[in-house]
Amino acid sequence: MANLKTTITGIGLENPLMLASGILDENGYTMKNILESGAAAVVTKSISRSERTGYRPPIVAEVPHGLLNAVGLPNPGIDNFGNEMRIAREAGKPVIGSIFGGTAEEFTYVGRKMEEYGASALELNLSCPHVVGVGSEVGSDPELVEEIIAELKGKVRIPVWAKLSPNVTDILEVAEAAGKADAFVVINTVRGMAIDIHARRPVLSNSYGGLSGRAVKNVGIRYTYQLYKETGKVIIGVGGIETHEDAVEYIMAGASAVEIGTGVYTRGKTIFPEICRGISSFMDSEEISSIKDMVGVAVQ
Amino acid sequence: MIHSIIERVDRETPTTVSLLFPWDRDVLPGQFIMVWIPGFGEIPISLSYTGKIKGITVKRFGPTSTALTELKAGEKIFFRGPYGNTFRKTGGETLIVGGGSGMAGLLPLITSGSHGVVSARTRTELLFADRFSPERLTAVTDDGSEGIKGFAVEGLKHLDLDEFSMMYVCGPELMLKSVLDYISDKKIDADFSLERQMKCGIGVCDSCSMDGLQLCTQGPVFPKARLLNSREFGREKLSLSGKREKL
Repeated sequence: MANLKTTITGIGLENPLMLASGILDENGYTMKNILESGAAAVVTKSISRSERTGYRPPIVAEVPHGLLNAVGLPNPGIDNFGNEMRIAREAGKPVIGSIFGGTAEEFTYVGRKMEEYGASALELNLSCPHVVGVGSEVGSDPELVEEIIAELKGKVRIPVWAKLSPNVTDILEVAEAAGKADAFVVINTVRGMAIDIHARRPVLSNSYGGLSGRAVKNVGIRYTYQLYKETGKVIIGVGGIETHEDAVEYIMAGASAVEIGTGVYTRGKTIFPEICRGISSFMDSEEISSIKDMVGVAVQ
Repeated sequence: MIHSIIERVDRETPTTVSLLFPWDRDVLPGQFIMVWIPGFGEIPISLSYTGKIKGITVKRFGPTSTALTELKAGEKIFFRGPYGNTFRKTGGETLIVGGGSGMAGLLPLITSGSHGVVSARTRTELLFADRFSPERLTAVTDDGSEGIKGFAVEGLKHLDLDEFSMMYVCGPELMLKSVLDYISDKKIDADFSLERQMKCGIGVCDSCSMDGLQLCTQGPVFPKARLLNSREFGREKLSLSGKREKL
């Protein structure tokens, strides 16, 4: 059996698979259950300074080869999240705190609290609506991204991962602005929409949504490859991973670890041990001795 | 989204209607659908009719359920599913225990060998009590306007539970918890169908979770043994935002 252990920004992982933010990670008991099911780490639902109820259902639509969602970033607010972190951490594995906000001050407040709660790293969700520049996202404003990360890096000791949006003209511009982050997580959902022709209206209550799942896998592979090649940063790949081949593809494109979200919906919680077994036998047959030996090997 | 045309609307109580519509799909008792009223919202509702013609029984509550109760025959109904698991099958005499609109999801389980404990706030809200023969019905009302006064568990105290092979229970979670507490040291086995805040219905949003399990994909039916030592059942839930609250 190949050894699947790896480390990412100094955090030890028993295998390269983590639960992606936004899927089954609001309730501490659920996160604990996912960790006990075989995920090496979980990323929490994105948490902000203030409580948000999110959008009213329909918040999700099942579409061919993926999911479309506009959940609206519901979360109890960081001050009410300590109990869930405590419960999740009972599993004894890393819990990564996903955070969001509209300003550097908000990110810092939430990030410091996450660190107090025992988060092993912070993952910055840069895809939330940016109130100042109406219509844009925090992640498409390089100056703001730079300010948020500089501020956070000065205030917390745990690693800071920047989750980048594919919904920009030039991802390298944002990556450069986020250059002080310890790692990049790519990709967040791709902007999408679904209309019910019999109801003659958008399915999601928010009309616009984000597409995830197999439909976006090759978008994720491309950005993983590009960012690894052009920035040399530690990359965490996410988007459409459902099989061990998908995970290995991301790793060979430059990902040091991967996150799985929609795959939990299509394959169930057993997706984590199943992909681990698959990676392990692939490594055995290819005579690869460690995950690190596969990272970026496909990059030309 | 699936759509069908409503064939019939039955008024069951002053606040509750059944909507019947054709849907060529095999479904199991206990399963539910996410029903969408464009412009209002989407809510989970268990199927009360699981034969060739499908049906849901809806009580007026929030804006979406109220809009549903106002639909007429000939109008479109939008939904997705079926989702969730089913009840364990058993032979012998079964005890059906329903609180309020919880009786809706139990309707497909009623046979000539079933005894019903039907509870509601008041006499006119007793749902599907007429589906049991009078000698096999224990009616319970909060206000005592019919049958035994009190909550559903009061009805159980008037029965010899050893006569039944299995109990099927559905209703508000605190009612389920009181039934579970009452039978915890008794021999009778039971399946409980739970109702919790649900947003996605497909096991991703974590709104309906309990003890790490998702009601929508791993439930909504849970056996007595699973609930006995639960840390969250009948105690805590997450609000719409995800804030932990006492039930």
